[in-house]
Amino acid sequence: MSAVETREKRILWIIAVPMALLALSAVYPVFFAINAALKTRKDYVLNRFGVTLDPTFANFPQAWIQSHLSEYFLNSVAVTAGAVLLLLVVSSLSGFALAVLRFRGSKLVFTIILISLMIPVQVVLVPFYRTMIALDLVNTRIGLILAYTAFFLPFSVYLMTAFYARLPRELYEAAQIDGASLLQIWWSIMLPLGKPALITLGILNTLYCWNDVLISLLVLQDKRTLMVGIAALRGQYTTNVPLLAAGIVLAAAPIVLIYVVFQRQIVSGIAVGAVKG
Amino acid sequence: MRKSIVNMLRAGTILAAALAGAAGLAHAEDTTLTVWDFKSGDPALADYFNAVKSDFESAHPGVTIQYVMQPHDQYYTLLGTALAAKQGPDVVMVHGGSQAKERTDALVKLDEAVAPIKNDVAGWAEFTGKDGGLYAVPLSIQGFVVYYNKDLYTKAGLDPENPPKSWAELSAAADALKKAGVTPFALGNKEGFGADFFLSSVAANGLTADQAAAWEKGELKWSSPEIKAIVQAWVDTAKNGWYPEGANSTAMFMDEYETFERGENANVVGLISDVAHWKEFGGFLGDDKVGAFIMPPLGTASGALKMPFAGGIGYGVTKFSPHQDLAIEFVTSVASAPHMQTFFETAGAIPSNTKVDTSKVASPSAKLVLGWLGDGPAIVAHNSLPSAVEEEWHRQSQLLLTGETTVDEAVAKLDAAQAQANKK
Amino acid sequence: MTASTTSPATRRSRLGNRPERLALLFVLPALALVVVFRVVPLVWGLGYSFTNYDGINPPSFIGIDNYLRLTQDPTFIDSLVNMLILIATLPIWIALPLVLAILIHQGVPGGKLFRAVYFFPAVLSSVIIGAIFNMILRYDGSLNAMLKAFGFSAIDWLGNSNTALFSLIAVQLWSTFGMGVLIFLAGLSTVPSDMLEAAKLDGAKLLQTWWYVVIPSLRPIIEFAAVVTTIGMLTSMFGLIYVLTAGGPGTATTLPEYLIWLEQGKLNSPGYASAISMVLFLLMGGLAAIQIRIMSRNANL
Repeated sequence: MSAVETREKRILWIIAVPMALLALSAVYPVFFAINAALKTRKDYVLNRFGVTLDPTFANFPQAWIQSHLSEYFLNSVAVTAGAVLLLLVVSSLSGFALAVLRFRGSKLVFTIILISLMIPVQVVLVPFYRTMIALDLVNTRIGLILAYTAFFLPFSVYLMTAFYARLPRELYEAAQIDGASLLQIWWSIMLPLGKPALITLGILNTLYCWNDVLISLLVLQDKRTLMVGIAALRGQYTTNVPLLAAGIVLAAAPIVLIYVVFQRQIVSGIAVGAVKG
Repeated sequence: MRKSIVNMLRAGTILAAALAGAAGLAHAEDTTLTVWDFKSGDPALADYFNAVKSDFESAHPGVTIQYVMQPHDQYYTLLGTALAAKQGPDVVMVHGGSQAKERTDALVKLDEAVAPIKNDVAGWAEFTGKDGGLYAVPLSIQGFVVYYNKDLYTKAGLDPENPPKSWAELSAAADALKKAGVTPFALGNKEGFGADFFLSSVAANGLTADQAAAWEKGELKWSSPEIKAIVQAWVDTAKNGWYPEGANSTAMFMDEYETFERGENANVVGLISDVAHWKEFGGFLGDDKVGAFIMPPLGTASGALKMPFAGGIGYGVTKFSPHQDLAIEFVTSVASAPHMQTFFETAGAIPSNTKVDTSKVASPSAKLVLGWLGDGPAIVAHNSLPSAVEEEWHRQSQLLLTGETTVDEAVAKLDAAQAQANKK
Repeated sequence: MTASTTSPATRRSRLGNRPERLALLFVLPALALVVVFRVVPLVWGLGYSFTNYDGINPPSFIGIDNYLRLTQDPTFIDSLVNMLILIATLPIWIALPLVLAILIHQGVPGGKLFRAVYFFPAVLSSVIIGAIFNMILRYDGSLNAMLKAFGFSAIDWLGNSNTALFSLIAVQLWSTFGMGVLIFLAGLSTVPSDMLEAAKLDGAKLLQTWWYVVIPSLRPIIEFAAVVTTIGMLTSMFGLIYVLTAGGPGTATTLPEYLIWLEQGKLNSPGYASAISMVLFLLMGGLAAIQIRIMSRNANL
């Protein structure tokens, strides 16, 4: 081992210290939320940051029941699953068309989709809501699925297009010569090949849909999704922090679980769009 | 038909509600009344909301009351989209004052329907439109008093049974508290609410009747000597160390009140309904350790002080509701005496219905508040501010605390905002 | 490197017209969704911006009055200044995750763990992050408690005009930097390792290796990260602003997207809010024009 390398090693060890502190800060909120969820409201007011010595689990069932989380949980699962599936299908179809097939006007289509990436939700709130009403989609799960798909689509289309653009064209052309239809090619070649990008998009979009509050509030006014249920735990005045924290822990648990399970795939696939072969 | 319904409601009994329901049967066929609010999920109010719902439903077979509690921070954004699209809730909760008044064009005029309960219920002024019509039924009465921690008063050598009655006494008490190492007032001004409460509590007994009327019409300027003195007092009290550090980053709900509940501050401008009131503070400090007084005006007060209070929150009916008659019946039932009794007893909120029996309350500060209620209201100055002006006051009040602006500059900006709002 | 062996001309002739029409069919769902739910509302909003719409009464046309009012509205002007300050911090948003990614790639002890943990805040919603940082950053919060324990004086992070915006930016940066780390790590995996080795054997100093070898080879991915980050900065700070500062003190943390929300909801003037929206959209459009060019190039279109 050369001297340069050992010196480098030593420097890396020193650098690891602040990096570890940063990592600690990244998990601190989880610790905070769980710790707060185990306190009573009075216990919390009197001792906000300390570790509770007398943990209570009463907040969890209360949050679950009070904000109808079981019902909202189903809504969240249904809507997130539906939207993510639709996003994957639609974006891989258009990625295939834009990157591999190409056609006159594909640049225009791509530009329109990218421009819509720049429209914040707040900017179109009232007209968007009126559009939903005009299409009779308010208070329907399908309405929220379509809304999510529309709002998170631009990035997904971009990523799939970028991903497919770097695949060898020969794969597609060989299938073309074999006489496969475009739909067959998409199904049996493009989808399997797109797996890394699709997994990444699947996870990112799951995060977005699961965590969204504003679009969901607007579209599903009577039925609710989980995050809206949690947001509603913050009343006008009374924010019962332990109760809110318990709700947060319950609502975030599934998504954290998904992240832990798929962590490796996310890491390996997250930036495929930017990587030029 | 409506007359008979309404007469029975005056009696305020469950029987009446049932009969009214029978009358309403004709148009009730599996109808859902959607009610938007930012309260119904509050466990303290669950008994009240459930009672209102089940009584109305059993009186109107086939009708379902669906409460939709929206997160409070998004409430007016959502309500705005629904009103703009003319679709959504049949019944909506609104805050009294400008939030109600700026939306009266979207609500049904209720004068005729509420005439029989009008005398029993207080707080109508905050839900009255420019045309003089009534647009929502008040649920609660909201008022502003200073609650104080008697133990801390004792610690500072003050008489805990004899709270300040004039600005001079209040200043002296503040000095004594500081000397004893106690921060005199809790304050949270992150959203600017602390400044709202200060303005209203100090202005309540400091304006003449004429000035109060002019203020409500938007004709009394911020640069007028009376109002400017209050803005100056906001700065002076801060400079004199009345408040803890960091008021601009402390949320009023619940952070400000929690510091009072922890016994860190001796006084706090609190409410008489919802939260931050005698019942909540008593729960932390003990009922007999919480005192209350009316904030004295600047200078010397003339006569007995009146508590600033007004209609708090209320229910209105949307113009686009397809079930308007039913919705009107519903909003007139929410303020009935038996329901309001529940509202008062379980949540500790001062109800709008004056027929509610409050004699069983043990808390000394609650007794004081109820007594002041009987003396009639003083003006709630921030209630009549157009929301754009109130927003500007929030901003200026924060800059006054950080020292980035002067009182003269601030009142000039506020006058400009007021002029812009008056143009509308 | 996957350069295609066929030239565009031969490609087109081989595919003929039928696939081209089919290809259009393939993008149709995406295009329809985007146009119906995003483009149409945008145009609709443009219409509102020329009216005095109050959300209740029918709007009447008032020409460019709303836009004229904007030029006189100090709150709006402040929000633009705040937006410029925010954009000016972009280099930090890129540099921090880039440096961390390179270090992890170079084999910092515990790198694999860091990589997983850094992304964690991005999993949580801003509702959660805001609530927690509120308690950390407030005047009597845990950060100041720590400062005081070390003998420093407390700072009103969220209540002081000089620090509030930067505190907000720091929290948002904290909650998103993990995504950047992952993006750059993925990019680094495409840099041929012999390039890095060669540089090392040359005896080049660590920093020089980074500057002359690693960073230039990451150029496209840095551009990509800049695009994604800018969009995120300008469109998704709302949740944090609401919970942490409510736009204050004064206007110190009022960004255009927050002002739009305020005017539209609490202040009940969607007409005026639409005018702000259009200005924000145009400003973003300026940035977008540059960025779309970059993104199109990265997508190889």
